[in-house]
Amino acid sequence: MGFSTDFKTMDAQAIHEDAQMRKDAGWRYVQMLAVNNDDSADVIYSYMRDGLLENLVVEALPRDAHLPSITDVYLEAFVCENEIHDLFGITFDGLAIDFLGNFYRVSTEVPMTIISPEKLAEREKQRKLEEKKAQAAAAKAAKEAGEAPAEAASDISGAKPGEPLIDEEMEAKLASMPPEKAAKVRAAMEAKAKKQAQDGEDA
Amino acid sequence: MGKSTVIPFGPQHPVLPEPLHLDLVVQDETVIDVLPQIGFVHRGLEKLVETRDYNQFIFVAERICGICAMGHSLGYAETVEELMGIEVPTRAEYLRVIWHELSRIHSHLLWLGLAADAFGFESMFMHCWRLRERILDIFEKTTGGRVILSVVRVGGVARDIEDSELAAICSVLDGIKSEYKEITDTLLTDMSVKNRTVGVGTLTHEQAVDLSMVGPFARASNVSYDVRSFGRGAYGALSDFQPIVDAQGDCYARVKVRCLEVLQSIQIIQELAGKIPQGDIAVKVKGNPDPGARAANVLEQPRGECYYYAQGNGTKFLERMRMRTPTSQNLAGMVEALKGCDLADVNMVILTIDPCISCTER
Repeated sequence: MGFSTDFKTMDAQAIHEDAQMRKDAGWRYVQMLAVNNDDSADVIYSYMRDGLLENLVVEALPRDAHLPSITDVYLEAFVCENEIHDLFGITFDGLAIDFLGNFYRVSTEVPMTIISPEKLAEREKQRKLEEKKAQAAAAKAAKEAGEAPAEAASDISGAKPGEPLIDEEMEAKLASMPPEKAAKVRAAMEAKAKKQAQDGEDA
Repeated sequence: MGKSTVIPFGPQHPVLPEPLHLDLVVQDETVIDVLPQIGFVHRGLEKLVETRDYNQFIFVAERICGICAMGHSLGYAETVEELMGIEVPTRAEYLRVIWHELSRIHSHLLWLGLAADAFGFESMFMHCWRLRERILDIFEKTTGGRVILSVVRVGGVARDIEDSELAAICSVLDGIKSEYKEITDTLLTDMSVKNRTVGVGTLTHEQAVDLSMVGPFARASNVSYDVRSFGRGAYGALSDFQPIVDAQGDCYARVKVRCLEVLQSIQIIQELAGKIPQGDIAVKVKGNPDPGARAANVLEQPRGECYYYAQGNGTKFLERMRMRTPTSQNLAGMVEALKGCDLADVNMVILTIDPCISCTER
C-alpha cells in the first residue's frame, strides 16, 4: 500500500456533512489544525483511507468564527477542537467534551493569534526586499529600453545631503533587529553622516 | 449499586509517569465514566517556528519529547523536505531508519521497565533498563548524544556510521535479543501478570476502528495499521513487513504487542545494516519554502502514528508547524478502555496504553 497526501478546500457549511460521509465510507480521522493569518484563520481537517491522507482546508475564517463540532461523528476530535478553541479562539458548537476554554493553562488568551514582533520584522524585511527587487527589475527594464532611469539619479532612500544615507537593505536589517539595538545603530550612523558632512564643509 | 463518586486521579500520582489528570466516576470500585484532562505542561513549541528558521527548528522538534526525540526530528525533517521538494540520499534514509528503530527499542524497553515495576517485578525493571542502557550506548557512540541525538538535518543526516560499526551494532543487538527474550518469556507467562492484565481494560476491534486509534494500542485490538507498512524511505527495502497485531484488545495484548515490536525492530535494523548502500549522507539545502506551500506527513512513532504539517511563507521561517501526536489520538480510546474496569486496575490500563503527555501538549 502506497502513501500520498492531498490538499483540498472545503466550505465551512460542509464540515459536518463531510465528516459523516467520510465516517460512513470508512475514512479514519487523523487530526485538525488551525493556521493563523493576519486577520483570519484557516482550519484544516485530515482524514485517511487506503494510504491517502486528505487535508481539507476551510479558508479565511473570522477570528470569532463558530464551526460545527465533529465530535458526535469522531469523538477523538475533542482534543483538537478544544486545543484550537484555546489557542486560536475558534468556537466549536456541540463539542462532546467541552473544557470551555480550560483545556490548556495559557497565560495569554488565544496565544497563537498573536503576531510576534519577530514575525512582523521578518515580514517587513521580506516586503522591503521584494520592493527593492521590483525597483531593480524596473530600472533594468528601463535601461534595456534605452530610457533614462527615472529614479537612478536620486537615491532610493530619498536621503537629502547631510542626512544619514540608510538604504533599503539597511532598513530591512534594522527592522529585524531588536528595537534597542536598532536605535543604537541608527544613532551611530547619524553621527557618522554628520561627521562626514562636517569634514566636507571644513575641506 | 452504590452511589457514584468522583475520584480525582493525577496529575501527580505515584503510578502515573505523566502529568495526566483523570476524573474517575466510580460505583462500588468500578469505573463507570472518565473525564481526562491535560494542559499542565503546554509549552507552545509550535509558536517557536516564528523565531527559529527551518534548519534551527529541528533542534526544537526533537526536544518535544525525550523518548521520541529521534522520531520528532525525523518527522519534521521529512515534512520540510517534502515542502521544499528535497530528495534525500538513500544512505541517509537507511541511517535515519536505523536510529529511529533503535529509538523505538529504547522507548519500549523504558516502558517495559516501568510496567514491570508496576507489576511488582522490581528486578525486571532493572534488567529492562540495563538493556536500554546498551541502546543508549549505541546512540552515544554513533551520534554523541544519549537522548537528544541531533543527528537528523533537513536534507539528510549529520553523521555516518561506518560499516564496521554497523556490524558491531548488529552484534550488540544479538546479545540484547537473547537476554530480552528471557525477560519477556518470564513476563508473558507469569501468572500474576496474567491475573492483572488478561481481560482488563479491553477495547474491541470495532471500538478501536471507530475511535481512529493508532499505534500498539490499536494493533492490540487487531487494527492492522502501521505507517511503516507504507514502505516509504528505507522501509521499502525490507523483504517483508507485517504489523504485529493481537485480537484480544486487553492489557495483556498491549504488553505482548510491544514486547514483540522490540524483536521486530531488531530484525529491521539488522536487515537494513546488511543492505545499506554507500554514498552521500546529505544534500545541500538552498532557498526557502515557497509562500503558501503546504506539506503533510505521517510517521510511526513508538506510540503510533504522528502527523506533521508545515506551511511556508517565502522566508526562512515557517508560517506554521504542527504535530499531532499518537497520545492525542488515543485519549478517547483510553477513556473507553477505562470504563468498566476496577479502580485498582486504572494504573495498569494507563501504563499499558503508554501515554506521552509531554508530546501531546508540545
